[in-house]
Amino acid sequence: MREQLQQQIERLKAAGATYVDARWYPLEETNQLLMWNGNLKNASSSRESGAGIRVLYKGAWGFSASSQLSNLDMLFDKAFDNARVAAERVTFPIRLAEKEAIQGSFTSPNRIDPFTVSLADKISLLKKLDEKLDQPGVSQRVCELVFMRKQIVYLDSEGSEIEKNIIEVFPSIRVMGVDAQGVSHSRKFSPPRLSPTRGWETLDPQLFSENAERIVREMNEVLAAEDCPKDERSVILLPGIMFLQTHETIGHALELDRILGYELAFAGGSFVKLDDFGSLRYGSSRLTARADGTIPNSPGSFGFDDDGVPAQDNLLIDKGLLVGAITGRQMVEEANARARKQIFSGSSGANRATSFYRVPIERMTNINIDPGSDGTLDDIVRNTEKGIILDGEKSWSIGSNREQFHFATDIGWLVEDGKVTRVVKNSTYRGETLKFYNSLSAVGDKSTWEVHYVDNCGKAQPNQIMQLGHGVPVCRFDNVKIGE
Amino acid sequence: MKDRILQTLRDLRAYAVSKDIEAAFFYHEEDSYLMRFANSAISLNTNEHLIRLEITAYEDRKRASFELITDLDKMDEMKQGVDIAAEMASHAQPLSYKPTVPEYRETFIDESGYDQELATISNEERLAYFNNAARGLETDEIKLSGIFSSGGNVTAQINTRSAHLQYFKTSDAQVTIVLSHAALKWEVIAEQSAQKKTDLNPSTLHRDLAFLLDHYQHDTPRQIPLGKYDIVFGPAASGDLISMMNWIGFSGGAMKRGFSFLTQDQVGTRVFSDKFNLIDNPTSLQTFPFRVDVMGIPREPFSIFENGEFKAFTWYQDDADEFGAQPTGHTVMHFSLVVNGGDRDVSTLEELVRMPRENDILYIPFLHYMNIVNPSKGLITASSRFGALLLKKDGSVVVPYNVRITQSLLDIFGERVAWISKTQIANNTSSSYGARNPTAVIVPAFIQVNDLEISHSNSSY
Repeated sequence: MREQLQQQIERLKAAGATYVDARWYPLEETNQLLMWNGNLKNASSSRESGAGIRVLYKGAWGFSASSQLSNLDMLFDKAFDNARVAAERVTFPIRLAEKEAIQGSFTSPNRIDPFTVSLADKISLLKKLDEKLDQPGVSQRVCELVFMRKQIVYLDSEGSEIEKNIIEVFPSIRVMGVDAQGVSHSRKFSPPRLSPTRGWETLDPQLFSENAERIVREMNEVLAAEDCPKDERSVILLPGIMFLQTHETIGHALELDRILGYELAFAGGSFVKLDDFGSLRYGSSRLTARADGTIPNSPGSFGFDDDGVPAQDNLLIDKGLLVGAITGRQMVEEANARARKQIFSGSSGANRATSFYRVPIERMTNINIDPGSDGTLDDIVRNTEKGIILDGEKSWSIGSNREQFHFATDIGWLVEDGKVTRVVKNSTYRGETLKFYNSLSAVGDKSTWEVHYVDNCGKAQPNQIMQLGHGVPVCRFDNVKIGE
Repeated sequence: MKDRILQTLRDLRAYAVSKDIEAAFFYHEEDSYLMRFANSAISLNTNEHLIRLEITAYEDRKRASFELITDLDKMDEMKQGVDIAAEMASHAQPLSYKPTVPEYRETFIDESGYDQELATISNEERLAYFNNAARGLETDEIKLSGIFSSGGNVTAQINTRSAHLQYFKTSDAQVTIVLSHAALKWEVIAEQSAQKKTDLNPSTLHRDLAFLLDHYQHDTPRQIPLGKYDIVFGPAASGDLISMMNWIGFSGGAMKRGFSFLTQDQVGTRVFSDKFNLIDNPTSLQTFPFRVDVMGIPREPFSIFENGEFKAFTWYQDDADEFGAQPTGHTVMHFSLVVNGGDRDVSTLEELVRMPRENDILYIPFLHYMNIVNPSKGLITASSRFGALLLKKDGSVVVPYNVRITQSLLDIFGERVAWISKTQIANNTSSSYGARNPTAVIVPAFIQVNDLEISHSNSSY
């Protein structure tokens, strides 16, 4: 198949295409198991295979995909035809940033392939977790295991040939209960990435057991708690919500396709302008954020992106100053040309597609916040006069240019004069992105830093769901509105 | 092609029966085309032809499913899928209830929603549509974005309980056109949903875009003060709110799991404005309906709210099995939700702006990134987007920067509803995650709700 794909690539090049690439998925598999109140509501698996072809012609993209690979001529011709039509309406002819031709491979680190584990063993784990959650106060128990395995072969007209074999495991447990007013509350645990690998071996029963007890206890505390006050105070975000704050208001805001207006029909734009790179004070000097596609244990690390560019570790925000973006080859060239200066020196290796039948777009790798020097969570609490500790993503809604946001969390702990006083329910906070990050007044040390994953990041049309990660510490922000 | 699909399903059924496997088959085939625009160019022109087959195997109280992307030449692969599903079911844990296996009493074929001309609309025609809808409106600063998503869709089902089949074929198009200012970052939108090619009318979009552009180019933009406003929701905003209500409102399963703002006790009581009527109406072709659900239950118009009274929960088969309820024919890929029109004679945005008013009115056409803050209270939050207008009572118009509302659906559709327009519009709510599933909600062109709180107001676009 590789040889046939290469022949087709050369055929289209000879026919006038500027650039051609093919992503062939010999096999992509998923396995989802969902146990709800002890019932195995979902036991499903899927398999798919096929190829997606991307053609650049006269500055415009054409794309075509099919699971039927018996007629490659037709598949490649369709992509070329689509590019020819797209070339009738071009305002900025697409150019691709330089890269080296690479012969490479990437295999995500894992010791036990979850697809070699029997269904019985997987269900046995779910049952044990479900039993652990079956406690007084709990009305709903949800345990979920999702496994993914994919093989991707990438070839392009510039001489690259890359094979990737990626395995992911996404486990979670969740409890729900109803308070005296009839309002539902929940608490969830998705384990941070603690081991250096990504396979079945990462499912540590002891860790789940401890956290099952914790989330049941905390949810029951929420059920008995008073409402979150409506006021303004410091918010201390634990990694279990800070990862999503980072995702929504740093990650998405710094995707270069959004900044350049390529997502205005759907996902939205960004408040960031090209002139802002190198000058915008995105946050306080405590804020250093990076796009790191090299950490081993996260779905945001994949070796090479779907432009064939190697994974990198790039600064996005350096001590509060905006310095970088999440980029692929196309957007870098356009941004530099539009700005009439070189803002970006090359692709940051962040162009990815969710499947063979979707086109690659700018996606987050691992958007991380560097640990700080403000100590442990206890240290930060001790140094907080009036605050609230928040954890658990319950709800999130962000303005179309990522300029403002509203989050609801599973739980809040009020902090008064350096001490945790009580749990509150219905905790929410909202803010304006720049003002919020510029109010960052404490960043926890390495002991507070955790890698959390996002397995359902949606973007683009046709829509794509992507998996990625965020390594974040505990962070405190001042003068934030809560309880609305 | 239809005969080949049906024969393939019959062959798979025969294979399952021969191996004594209880199974249901769900076939999905899409031929999808999407032309996407950004920065006044075609940023992507794509198509995909995909066949998905989902096989659900049953073994008394045990159930498991296997899905594959395949093609009709791969019978061996599909048969292997039957074996895998059966193997999974044998190792699955028994449910606490017996899941109902679909059983069709007759073969049902519905191709009434398919228009060959729309399903196969050419690249050139789609480009011409965009050029017509945006003619004369683009400038160096005002850029065109949007999508023309179109295609044909087939779903078909069979099971081992009977030899009857179900087959549905639809065509659809979803058009979104956005004009945005490259430097100022404002955006205006016009949308269209089509079930057949003759539904497409670029001049309607051109009219709406030109009207909004005129205001966004000439009226004063302003950060509006926080507080209570009389708000008129446009069709996209209303469609999104109704879709959210489907999720946390009248689903029987969601109610039983504590994920709804409605309770069993509220059936037969008035919970919304008496102006509010919501029906699941599978006779409405504009909703890309299913006249029979996956379980073989015929679908008839189903009243959910009548004059504000909550009439009934909808029950998906598996939820009905688990909670001992009667299924209501709602085991479908999507409902056919229709909000009745009211008595206010206003059809277009221009008419709304011209309409005499006693108070200032905030027009919100679109709600961006809606999410559920508290399902038990029906509390949602979202931001305005794509062409909001503040219609002052003196007749002038102000362009507001985007605002956030955090409000309960009980308030939005409750006693604060002031009026509902007579005119209804098909708001295309399709998403292109996973398998193509053309969906639309029929909503009034405008719904005015008084005294809704604005909790955040942007200081710029």
